[in-house]
Amino acid sequence: MKILGISAHYHDSAAALVVDGVPVAAVQEERLSRRKNDATFPISAIEWCLDRAGVDPSDLDAVVFYERSMLKFDRILTCALRAFPHSWRSFPNAIKNSLGEKVWVRGIITSHLGVPRRKIFFTDHHASHAAAALFSAPTRRAAILTADGVGEWATLTVGRGERRPDGAAEMTLQREIRFPHSLGMLYSTFTAYLGFAINEDEYKVMGLAAYGRPTMIEQVRTLIRSTPDGAFVLAPEYFEFQTTASRSYSSKFVDLFGPPRNPYDDIDLDSPEGRRFADCAASVQRVLEDVLVDIARQLRRETSLPDLCFGGGVALNGLANARILAESGFERVFVPPAPGDAGCALGAALYADRIYFGNPDRDVPDHPFWGPSVDAQELARASREDSHPVEELDDVPLMEAVADELAAGRIVGWMEGACEFGPRALGHRSILAAPHSREIRDRINRDIKRREEFRPFAPVVPAEAADRFFDLPPGGHRLGRFMSGVFPVRPEWRGRLAGVTHVDGSARVQVLERDMAPRLHALLEAYGRRTGIPVLLNTSFNVAGEPIVTRALEGYSTFRRCGIDLLVAGPTVVMKRGASPDRSLKEGVAWSSEGVARSGAV
Amino acid sequence: MPSVTKGAPLDRIMRPVHRWVWGDVDRRLRKLLTFADVETDGGRDILRAAEVTPDPLLRRLYLEHAIDELRHGELFRERGAALVRARRTWRKVLFAGNPLPGGHGLDDLSIEGQPDYRLLAFLHVAEKAAAGRFTIYRELVDDDPETRAIFEQILRDEVFHMNYTYTQLTRVSPQGYRRHVWHARAKRLWNRYLRIAAAMAGLFGGVALTAMYFVLLPPFVWFARRAERREPTGWTSISRNGNQSPRSQY
Repeated sequence: MKILGISAHYHDSAAALVVDGVPVAAVQEERLSRRKNDATFPISAIEWCLDRAGVDPSDLDAVVFYERSMLKFDRILTCALRAFPHSWRSFPNAIKNSLGEKVWVRGIITSHLGVPRRKIFFTDHHASHAAAALFSAPTRRAAILTADGVGEWATLTVGRGERRPDGAAEMTLQREIRFPHSLGMLYSTFTAYLGFAINEDEYKVMGLAAYGRPTMIEQVRTLIRSTPDGAFVLAPEYFEFQTTASRSYSSKFVDLFGPPRNPYDDIDLDSPEGRRFADCAASVQRVLEDVLVDIARQLRRETSLPDLCFGGGVALNGLANARILAESGFERVFVPPAPGDAGCALGAALYADRIYFGNPDRDVPDHPFWGPSVDAQELARASREDSHPVEELDDVPLMEAVADELAAGRIVGWMEGACEFGPRALGHRSILAAPHSREIRDRINRDIKRREEFRPFAPVVPAEAADRFFDLPPGGHRLGRFMSGVFPVRPEWRGRLAGVTHVDGSARVQVLERDMAPRLHALLEAYGRRTGIPVLLNTSFNVAGEPIVTRALEGYSTFRRCGIDLLVAGPTVVMKRGASPDRSLKEGVAWSSEGVARSGAV
Repeated sequence: MPSVTKGAPLDRIMRPVHRWVWGDVDRRLRKLLTFADVETDGGRDILRAAEVTPDPLLRRLYLEHAIDELRHGELFRERGAALVRARRTWRKVLFAGNPLPGGHGLDDLSIEGQPDYRLLAFLHVAEKAAAGRFTIYRELVDDDPETRAIFEQILRDEVFHMNYTYTQLTRVSPQGYRRHVWHARAKRLWNRYLRIAAAMAGLFGGVALTAMYFVLLPPFVWFARRAERREPTGWTSISRNGNQSPRSQY
């Protein structure tokens, strides 16, 4: 069966194609449209997936949308009614938004793809998250936990799933916590309060938390209370996300925590104000972790299963994931490479395949590389046209040459094979650098990523060397596979891994198995032979405000305008020619005001 | 500065409106922050053009152009941010939105699959209009040397942009470049009409929906609140597993 999964209309839309039970292509729309967090209907992603598999829309057996859009509309309308008359400002926009496009999903799919309506299916939002986590994990039976801002009504669900040896699959979500009581919304509210963009900058709150002390836990606990059955409720008087789209927190929230941060002010961690914001971040982070650990512990007791599959946007919180692994009693925690809404495209397709159609369960390859491949020839051609030094090398000399450059303190743009599905660069679209000093971290922050100083960079390490440098608990290797856990750097290595060690001594490490990305693994080994430390700084190949690069020419244009010294795509290596090339173009291209005048005065 | 950047007749007529906008610090900083987004978005579009064009010279020029636009975005953002920091009422200032959809709205550039001459003509017309308008803005911020300096700097780049787009347009389409420029002007006018029409429609729609909100919704409010009161707190059991239609949107 050929099943297309689609997620769209909120943030980070995506498409995924499953053929005979196995994914063959998956990509976020932003990677093709080049608009970060592109939420539009993912027509480019769909076209690419179908092209990749050589499938015509008429060949599709089913198209599955990742949530029930009318149920979501029901929630929006109900919340507007409940908040009457305070919702009067947000009501027109909410209705225009929903009726403009979001509730007509079936028609949109039909008109774009020409598939008959009988082939269009829907899943629950959290079922899509759960399926993405369960059916892509190398486990037979597992408990399931999903948590995000909100789906239709659910914000957090728990359940269990089984993939039997005879191919039968079962997934049951047993209970849920419903909007407006939401861990994701609680965290997003603090994201907004701290002057960051919601649904995008939550990881900044996590980075900032390490600089603070959780001195405001009591205040945060005022916002979120445990219920006798082990769930939680938010105190609505502190929030406004359920009544207006313009602000997440209420005046009462501000009375409790003090004035919010002006988004245009830098965070000065030496000032009392900066420390207050860091303490806020640390406090909400701690409470989020505590609540998740409690829920996971309860789930472990109920299911007695050793494995947990964790999905939803909250599963991007590596600190919380590490604490769940350490404290909940689960032996292994599986977080998919795309736990957020983009991953729901794949989850919806897998759910339909296993549950709706009852097709036999098949193992999903355990890697995140489902996107478009890089064309090294394209890079070589463009670089030669622009007179940049280009070399095409076999693997062994290439690894040695790149390792030499990294050891000499150069920053490398690394593109390899198919791009990752999900928000993390896991070795196919990465910026790599030596991890040893804070100077190189500051250089990448300043010249390439242009981001806040308090944000850490992640290391990548071969699996066989991981325990030497990082204090990984049992199950830590698995969580580190897709960079889903934050773990301590061993104290004796913190000085020599200063570029990737966060202020609290931790790192969001990627533990790389050779099978997953053999060339990056070989590069790590080559680098280790030179320095004695087979660890590299690994950050996503993009600059602030842009999606991770997909094609070779996108990597090339990024390379040309920022401080990357060396660009590698497959066997092609490009060195930067001098500083800031082509500034002479402005002088070189003749111009005259006469020429402009000829085109007609404005 | 060349005389071609003296401003379009319409902008010269609208000078009192521009003076009103730039004369107030709150409006000024909002305008600067809007420009920051527009320039950054424009820079990314041109960057995309650099990535897809088959013409090596255009790729280099587009890249330079994109770098300029992204830098302009930064300049506007930094200046806007400096003004925001100086204001005590920053929340009120930032949350007051612009009703006209712009930036990534109807002015969206379509890059993929477009021939270079179409983009060059569009860029030429857009840069020329921007340069003319920035000339007027520069004169209206005489009391604010930092903002004026930004406009000066950007205007220098805009002249380069206008010129290279025109020169390259004549190179890639020596027969039809005039036609392309006129076509780009007509398209720009049409897009402006669409923006205004969409804003008007949005306004009317908003008024109608607000009226509906106060007239039609109140009877249902009581039911919604009663249902809310009856909702259990904590866990809710999921009973619909297995019996919900896979074809249902509900």
